[in-house]
Amino acid sequence: MTRGRANPPHGVVLGMLLTLWVVNAWAADAPAPASPAAAPAAAAPAPPPQQPAAQPSPPENLESLAPDAAVAILGKKVRDASGHDMGPVVDVVVSGDGHPVAAVIDFGGFLGVGTRKIAVDWSLLQFKPVDRDAPVVLALDRAMVQAAPEYKPTVQLPVQIVGPPPAAKDPGPTDQK
Amino acid sequence: MSKRPCCGGGLQAAALHSAERGLDWLNLFVANIQTGFGPFIAVYLTTQGWTQTAIGFALSLGTVTAMASQVPAGALVDATSRKSLVAMLSILVFSASALIFALSPVPLFVYLAEMLHGFSSCTLGPAIAAMSLALAGRTTLGLRLGRNVRYASIGNGVGAALLGACGYLISNQAVFFLTAALTLPALATLKPLSRLDAPAARREIRETAQRQSVAHVLANSRLLIFAACATLFQLANAAMLPLASVALTKRAGGIASLLIAACVVLPQVMVALLSPLMGRIAETRGRRIVLLLGFLMLPLRGLLFAVLANPELVVLVQALDGIAATSFGIMVPLVAADVAGRSGHFNLALGFIGFAIGIGATLGTTLAGWIADRFGDPTAFAGMAAIGAAATLLVWCAMPETRPEPG
Repeated sequence: MTRGRANPPHGVVLGMLLTLWVVNAWAADAPAPASPAAAPAAAAPAPPPQQPAAQPSPPENLESLAPDAAVAILGKKVRDASGHDMGPVVDVVVSGDGHPVAAVIDFGGFLGVGTRKIAVDWSLLQFKPVDRDAPVVLALDRAMVQAAPEYKPTVQLPVQIVGPPPAAKDPGPTDQK
Repeated sequence: MSKRPCCGGGLQAAALHSAERGLDWLNLFVANIQTGFGPFIAVYLTTQGWTQTAIGFALSLGTVTAMASQVPAGALVDATSRKSLVAMLSILVFSASALIFALSPVPLFVYLAEMLHGFSSCTLGPAIAAMSLALAGRTTLGLRLGRNVRYASIGNGVGAALLGACGYLISNQAVFFLTAALTLPALATLKPLSRLDAPAARREIRETAQRQSVAHVLANSRLLIFAACATLFQLANAAMLPLASVALTKRAGGIASLLIAACVVLPQVMVALLSPLMGRIAETRGRRIVLLLGFLMLPLRGLLFAVLANPELVVLVQALDGIAATSFGIMVPLVAADVAGRSGHFNLALGFIGFAIGIGATLGTTLAGWIADRFGDPTAFAGMAAIGAAATLLVWCAMPETRPEPG
């Protein structure tokens, strides 16, 4: 390699990091690419993207959501009935008529090792928009869920989701497509 | 630490000692850093609202970049004479990658960070191995690698504890800041090692090399057989811990996370305890016995995972993983050095083995997942035990002893 150059190019690396910081600040002004996939039954349009001057005006049919009225749930923690952390919501399963059927939770593990995706019936969930960190509460205890099969959607086979516990006559897990 | 001119990079005793200590701590801090780039990235990106598909794609990008870079990065490290400079640049790139994750987890930058990290891992590993070879020479390399592996396992354990505590007490984002901060002590350890790059030391190393062509090195039957054994090893080994961890979350109650932590930490503790001993055995008794010991752990572990139901016993089985990991961690660079150490293509050979290992790990994870889905966990473990047994058989029958003859 090169001779006679005793020190590595610190300046080049610092310049790279500074450039990244500047680009990041610029990118933060643009609309965020990853928008939450889950929404409550009412459609919630994203806030209007910031537009430079002399651009068409935003659409007229805007609705506004009060901060405590609704919450985005992807990536947010789920607590079980006893308050233990179950893991984050990673997906929402929606039926053809627009109703959420199940939520997929990334359950268990340590530092990412040993996690498992479990689908739970949407009716088992309660939502607390006030708690931004853990807005979802599951009506079951962790012990009832921990042995559930992993959620693996395929084209042909139905997936298993954890349904309401057998009360009087309800069967346990419900098969859904 | 011999005083023969072909060992120690031509350094005086005091400089040699500080270089050895520097290499110890380098291994430790690099292992610290690498813990932050493991499965934890998936956890972090989930909390940033990334979809699972997008996370899978980002992680695959890192894996593919790493696999594709193994051989070219090895050749690159071979071509540069200043290995500590390569190590320094790799660590700086790790730092940049960690900062990107912390500051700006948007897709483009995350893909960039994953690719940077993948490539730098493939330059840093060979650089460390090359510096170890320069310091120890061929007759005491086993001991040196045993020390490397010991400090790396301590680094893994300390890193997991630190980063886990940081993520739990502060935030997931803070973990990446901590990872970036940990690159600073790593850079500091390179200072005594940079003396290995001095022109006088380099002349010493060049004098003992007998250059061969790349084709000659890669066509070496001992290298190919070892690569095949290593591939089979990872084919069986890669998915065992993840599969066992998932099984733990199914059976154990609230302490499942603790048990999984124990499953990760216990092998590291075993490695730290056993690696100097194994390095010594590799030098005094030969490579084959250490290899066989490590490979035998695989079918044993697979069978035990398949039949044991008690979660606490499952954790104890991971002690066997410690023995296997020690053996594997020492043997891979050691056999590469045996086969190609003086050919001028040591890092290329190492990269080639790394590539084969990567293929084995990828195939093994997919295969184990598929079997577990269709036939259940015990069958998957039994299948991996069978592959492990085949790997052990291959080592027993085909792998020659590669320890260099004394003198």
